[in-house]
Amino acid sequence: MTYMKPAFRNAICTSSHFLNPKSIIIVPSKLSSLQSLPTLRTSLSPSFLRYRFRFETFRLLSPAYCSSFAMAGGDHPASASSVSLEKQFEDFRLQLEESGGFRERIRAVVFEIESTTRLMHASLLLVHQSRPTPELLEKAKSQIAVLKGLYNRLAEVLSQCPGQYYRYHGDWRSETQSVVSLLTFTHWLETGSLLVHSDVEEKLGLNNSEFGLDIEDYLVGVCFMSNELPRYVVNQVTAGEYDCPRKVLKFLTDLHAAFRMLNLRNDFLRKKFDGMKYDLRKVEEVYYDVKIRGLTASGEVNGDQGIQGQS
Amino acid sequence: MFYTSSLHRITLLASKPQRLHQFAGTKLQSSPKRTRTIVTESAMNDAFTKYTQYLNDLNDKRERVVKASRDITMNSKKVIFQVHRMSKYNKEEVLKKAEKDLAAVTNQYMSRLVKELQGTDFWKLRRAYSPGVQEYIEAATFCKFCKTGTLLNLDEINATLLPLGDPSLEPLQINVLDYLLGLADLTGELMRLAIGRISDGELEFAKKICSFARDIYRELTLVVPHMDDSSDMKTKMDTMLQSVKKIENACFSVHVRGSEYMPLTGSNDPSSFLVGVPDIEL
Repeated sequence: MTYMKPAFRNAICTSSHFLNPKSIIIVPSKLSSLQSLPTLRTSLSPSFLRYRFRFETFRLLSPAYCSSFAMAGGDHPASASSVSLEKQFEDFRLQLEESGGFRERIRAVVFEIESTTRLMHASLLLVHQSRPTPELLEKAKSQIAVLKGLYNRLAEVLSQCPGQYYRYHGDWRSETQSVVSLLTFTHWLETGSLLVHSDVEEKLGLNNSEFGLDIEDYLVGVCFMSNELPRYVVNQVTAGEYDCPRKVLKFLTDLHAAFRMLNLRNDFLRKKFDGMKYDLRKVEEVYYDVKIRGLTASGEVNGDQGIQGQS
Repeated sequence: MFYTSSLHRITLLASKPQRLHQFAGTKLQSSPKRTRTIVTESAMNDAFTKYTQYLNDLNDKRERVVKASRDITMNSKKVIFQVHRMSKYNKEEVLKKAEKDLAAVTNQYMSRLVKELQGTDFWKLRRAYSPGVQEYIEAATFCKFCKTGTLLNLDEINATLLPLGDPSLEPLQINVLDYLLGLADLTGELMRLAIGRISDGELEFAKKICSFARDIYRELTLVVPHMDDSSDMKTKMDTMLQSVKKIENACFSVHVRGSEYMPLTGSNDPSSFLVGVPDIEL
């Protein structure tokens, strides 16, 4: 900043006054009046401009001019080394701007994934108010096709930066975990079994593309689904479905046992898995409450007569 | 009780998943419902065996990468200390030793990391190796600056890593973010170096360090807003500004009170600074 000559500073200040959204178009012409500066980029792409002006315009713009100014006629000699230094950082900035652009496109798709997930979740929430009907599940499942389309778009964006899946992974991680939890929950309501990783990939159209579903994300999603089950059991029993706790307990016990096979690190997945035992306990309690009052006897109990005999 | 029995069944099934159908079909024909649940359970089981394998492999790999990264950090630090041992008189040999040490870090420890990560998406484990790589960049750029007064470029560093890996696989290339984070740390070392040089009387060198550190800081101000996780970098930028200011202040002090330092700076023999006075006047 100290290198800036007063006249130049004035020019910048005036132009920055004009930088309200309406007058963005006139900016390139203002810049072109400064073309005499050797390192100034005159061909600014539209996305470059947009990116710049979104944030503190003046602060981001001015150092660029300051530095080129200092180099051109500043107080220390513009040796070959400082030119190459300048050049490298210029390259970095372009690279980082490009990846910022990628990120924006990814976020746009993820935003849509999130809102689709919300719709699906809202329709699935109805299972707590009644018995799950096929129509209800169909409605929830209709969103799967939408999600598939969105994941295809995401995969397409990512195909333009190969080998960098995990660079941007954080941008869709938590949304994908919710998607997994909804898909596995829907599937469980339909069939009573767990939708495995490869099947989730298939449903999302990811099984033969570069863009896959991270296994840890899948597992976290399954944990989220397990969190939904206690509430489901409670509401089903209230609605008079007394055999439900037994089925859920069976499933959740198996699921918990399966999770115990994993060697987890001390990370988020571990935390979610540790929470699963509370879901299990809650379901056990409901099962116990129902059973001790002999409410299950009214339903078909062929399957667990053995257990009943033992207890 | 329920719990343990089902767990027991699972471990049994895990060893012989392929015989499961037969077993369930013959023994439990009377109860079709049970057959179905066992089959789904085993599908779950098979799937979880796969996940276990995946997680185990990943965790092992991460552990190895973390270890490699720690070794790199430790040995890069040694290189940096070696450079700091430099004085006016032994510059050549100290730097030579530092370069040799750095080459050893590259060949011994960086190559381990390169071999571990080549051909994979190295962004996945970035958090495991990033600290080591940053320290390595710090050491490499520090050495290079002391030797030539210029900044070692990312491309040059990456070029030295290429021969370490298998050419058929996609090689590990240090990414821009780690390079920039490493550079941010470099200023701290430059500050120490500058102070050392000033007390050693090498004022020109100190001035060179000063303008170099300024250049880096200035260039980084432009780049940092575009970095992925700039919060980490922002704190580094603050520390960096502090370092640059310290160098500037030190340079200022000797500039203003330069004459008071003169007797010491001209001396060839540290033990006899009074004898050194005539040297100055020559």
